[in-house]
Amino acid sequence: MGDVVWSSVVDLARMIATKEVSPVDVTRAFLERVAALDGTLKSFITVSGESALDAARAAEADLVAGRVQGPLHGVPLGLKDLFNTAGVRTTGGSKILADSVPAEDATVVRRLRAAGAIVLGKLNMHEFAYGPEGLNEHYGHARNPWDARQARVAGGSSSGSGAAVAAALVPFALGSDTGGSIRIPAALCGITGMKPTYGRTSRAGVLPLAWSMDHVGPMTRSAADSALVLRAMAGYDPADPTTSVLPVPDYTAALTGDVKGLRIGLLRPFFMDGSAPDVTAAVESAARALEGLGAIVDDVRLDSVRHVAAASFAIVASEALAYHAEWMRTRSADYQPDVRERLKMGAFVTGVQYVRAQQVRARVRAEVDEALARRDVLLAPTTPLPAPVLGQTETRIGDARTDVRSALIRLTRPFNFSGHPACSLPCGVSGEGLPIGMQFVGRPFDEATVLRVADAYQRLTDWHRRRPPLA
Amino acid sequence: MTPIVVTLDAMRCAMRVAGFAWSDAELEVLRPGLERALASLDELERLPLGDTEPTTQYRIL
Repeated sequence: MGDVVWSSVVDLARMIATKEVSPVDVTRAFLERVAALDGTLKSFITVSGESALDAARAAEADLVAGRVQGPLHGVPLGLKDLFNTAGVRTTGGSKILADSVPAEDATVVRRLRAAGAIVLGKLNMHEFAYGPEGLNEHYGHARNPWDARQARVAGGSSSGSGAAVAAALVPFALGSDTGGSIRIPAALCGITGMKPTYGRTSRAGVLPLAWSMDHVGPMTRSAADSALVLRAMAGYDPADPTTSVLPVPDYTAALTGDVKGLRIGLLRPFFMDGSAPDVTAAVESAARALEGLGAIVDDVRLDSVRHVAAASFAIVASEALAYHAEWMRTRSADYQPDVRERLKMGAFVTGVQYVRAQQVRARVRAEVDEALARRDVLLAPTTPLPAPVLGQTETRIGDARTDVRSALIRLTRPFNFSGHPACSLPCGVSGEGLPIGMQFVGRPFDEATVLRVADAYQRLTDWHRRRPPLA
Repeated sequence: MTPIVVTLDAMRCAMRVAGFAWSDAELEVLRPGLERALASLDELERLPLGDTEPTTQYRIL
């Protein structure tokens, strides 16, 4: 099966539907890669080999009988281990839920199965999604496949999703994003991660970190793949009252490759100014490349984003502790130390501070909306630095020393705070050969334009096709 | 940012009000991070937010 595992989701779905390849052989090929590589990468918490092969056999029987379930018929995927799966444990990367077996699938899982996708297993993550490094002391730290010499973080919290997609252990995965948890591992692992608008995808059946900041979306190797997957999973869900009733467009049809006249606002202050030189150079180069395609690029600033760190701390710490309060009273020793400390901080945030943070949030959202009133998308680095070494707590950007955690989350969190759609994709490599990511941010519910510009860039470049050394 | 000093007593009170019972040693570990966090939250109090309506529902459209 060789290179089939490196095929795009779009190509895999087509090859399966036309019986060029068998879903059983495809599923087996991915499972063989998991067996061969995941001892090093630690991207899986649970491998559902037998049930995946059963589903693949059923998919093959359907094809023989002339039935196609949907656009993802026979295509395997991995799920961050906070999406409920009927009959398969959903741990949240925790010891507390190590034996928790949901009775039902999360809505988005149910929709992807209905579209024909096959769940290969549950993927590693920062415990309870509360950390941008992707660390997990219970199931092992997922390792970034881009450095064979030393262990680097995959980025979090969807670390297993990032590592597994980058190393072709799965063709695509689902992640969740509360402060950047889809986009950070996408950037650090050299893949494409799409955080949709808040309300575009259902959170029903997904373990929460902070209800008002949580988003779920696809992690793939290309924007075209994200377009296909997002359409299959998005849309109104009565089980999630925050989902929108707006119809879900055909995102794939929006991928015309044409960005002539598209207006791109390059976020320079705060975003570019606070990033490492090779990151800034890569994003500048991407902006020039898009100008070459006819896009119009100008500089834009968002002054209010400097308050996002404080305000989102108040919101996330409060909401997270509210969810975990009972376990924090009865099973606090079962959390990994960094997560336990973060959760405790929520006890010291007052109601006034929470509401003040929500006022700041309204301001930030209005400012992003205003910037997008005259532009189609905004462009910024996804993270200000490439993947740090595992255990590294401090880094230097320019003359300033900063802690790794704050740096990783700094550029993504504003758009969880505002709820705007944002897609991270690779745009270069650092001096050490590590992927660099940039993000496009769009108007609310205009994922189509975000994916269109990301896809146009990927038609022009090959960063997203490069393979990591540990794969 | 104006530095904020948080006493162990103040932390004990807040913790009890919130319904938790952590040891003094556990609270001491949190104190430096809490002082930084509260100093940054104090900055928000200085913003001219006026009667900005807080975000109380999240459906954008």
